[in-house]
Amino acid sequence: MTLVAEAFVSQMAAAEPWPESATLYQPLKEDQILLSDCASSLAVQAYLRMCGLPVQVVCRANAEYMSPSGKIPFIHVGNQVVSELGPIVQFTKAKGNSLSDGLDDIQRAEMKAYMELVNNMLLTAELYIQWCDDATAAEISRPRYSSPYSWPLSNILAYQKQWEVRRKMNAVGWGGKTLEQVYEDVNQCCQALSQRLGTQPYFFNKQPTELDALVFGHLFTILTTRLTSTELAERIKSYSNLLSFCRRIEQTYFEDKSS
Amino acid sequence: MAAPDELFCWEGDWGLPSVSTDCLVVLAYAQFAGAPLKLKKMSNPWRSPSGLLPTLRTNQKENLTRPSDIIIHLRKQKYNADLDLSAKEGADSLAFISLLEEKLKPALIYTFWVEPKNYVDVTRRWYADHMPFPLNFFLPGQMQRGQLERLRLLRGDESLESGEELEKELYRDATECLNLLSQRLGSHKFFFGDTPSSLDAFVFGHLAPVLRSKLPNGKLQQHLKTLENLSSFCSNVLLLYFPRDGREGGGLKASSPPPPPEGGDFDHVPNKRRKQVLSALAALGAMLSYALLTGMVSIQQEALEEPPDPEPIGGEGEAGEEIH
Repeated sequence: MTLVAEAFVSQMAAAEPWPESATLYQPLKEDQILLSDCASSLAVQAYLRMCGLPVQVVCRANAEYMSPSGKIPFIHVGNQVVSELGPIVQFTKAKGNSLSDGLDDIQRAEMKAYMELVNNMLLTAELYIQWCDDATAAEISRPRYSSPYSWPLSNILAYQKQWEVRRKMNAVGWGGKTLEQVYEDVNQCCQALSQRLGTQPYFFNKQPTELDALVFGHLFTILTTRLTSTELAERIKSYSNLLSFCRRIEQTYFEDKSS
Repeated sequence: MAAPDELFCWEGDWGLPSVSTDCLVVLAYAQFAGAPLKLKKMSNPWRSPSGLLPTLRTNQKENLTRPSDIIIHLRKQKYNADLDLSAKEGADSLAFISLLEEKLKPALIYTFWVEPKNYVDVTRRWYADHMPFPLNFFLPGQMQRGQLERLRLLRGDESLESGEELEKELYRDATECLNLLSQRLGSHKFFFGDTPSSLDAFVFGHLAPVLRSKLPNGKLQQHLKTLENLSSFCSNVLLLYFPRDGREGGGLKASSPPPPPEGGDFDHVPNKRRKQVLSALAALGAMLSYALLTGMVSIQQEALEEPPDPEPIGGEGEAGEEIH
């Protein structure tokens, strides 16, 4: 979002309380949504639940095109539309809901750094595995991505997206990596997260923050999504404190609805 | 012991061992870890084995170009600057390096390659001055297009153009990143204790060019200078690990020392004398060959016994004299 737009949104946001009719848009859950988008969407949902802000999840086939920045997910609150976790955190902060107020400067620096670690390594690895690994792209990503559309549009959109992601991978220097190297990077990232979490319930001791939401979103999605190989999930399962972390957040924030 | 690996990297300027961020990261890490590398500084990327700089050519004739790959290779060879780090510090390293890549790098690409004044006055001029003929005509432009493309892909915006708004957004993220780094560094000498690690190498590589180059549009530079602990961190690293390069560039620092008589580093062209002599020779050669070809001056073979025929020479000589 541009600076001017952001300032405007913050001002408008501060004026109104959180409405009951807030909605979160994402692609179709059963057929269309891909690993990386599902992870981002789950992260935002977890964050909003942690803040205690109610939101309805609505699935639309063209969610990606509706989003102001082209990224999933986005929320529609009142008459504003905000996409991606970073701007959404700022938006809720403007409305007076923040999870990271209790942190001091050094902790906030660490929190931001670890969030960038997840974005830089986990998210990029997810995109790589989905689109740059030929087996996964052909079996899972392309069919799912283009499932709402009929031929020939489905083919065109799928290949266009694949080409776009591959160019991005080249730009960030991941183009020359092999799948093994990517798995190794994921392993390193999980090791760093596991080290940081240690034996605490959340990353910054007693209270969850947006970092917890982001990590939960990605790890839970990887653990519960079927891919061509289970290598990625296996790497995460080797860190028991991350597994119990995911289970804890799921039980605290996502199972109260059914009970 | 096996022969040391060869590192091909960009030349240095402004008191730095190299002008490129990636090269600086690799050089700094090699110094911190005590890795012996055969340095080949050059300003012609086509002469490097992979076409890109920096490139590490290992003993197995493999070419590595990404700084992270080069660092992993050096670690495997037991040159590890992160030995003293605890597990949590290692994790923090990884996190802060990611922060640098996501928040600071786009702003650096913008400052040096996309912002019009900086690109024309500093970046393009430096590369055009230092690259050999005929690369200096098209390679800087090609590099600029590559960097702009990279920035577009990093931001996910295909229609990115340089402008006030983009500059504000990028600089806002970058200043936040710099503030966070400054908070993390505090008053320590290095990020983790008294010995430098890979995070120090990455931070040095990203910040040193911004601090040391003279940019016409230097908002990021100004903000960085206000963060004293980061500025003294960079100066410290230069002093301790790159003393030779630091001394050369010492006179180019701002404030008290007067600018060198050539009028600042903009006019510092390498091999100036050699280029002057070559230009003079080329001009002389051109004039002589023109004179010979048009017949103003002619060289005739003199036979040893017979005297030469006086008329043609005299006639031509008169014609030559008349013209002159």
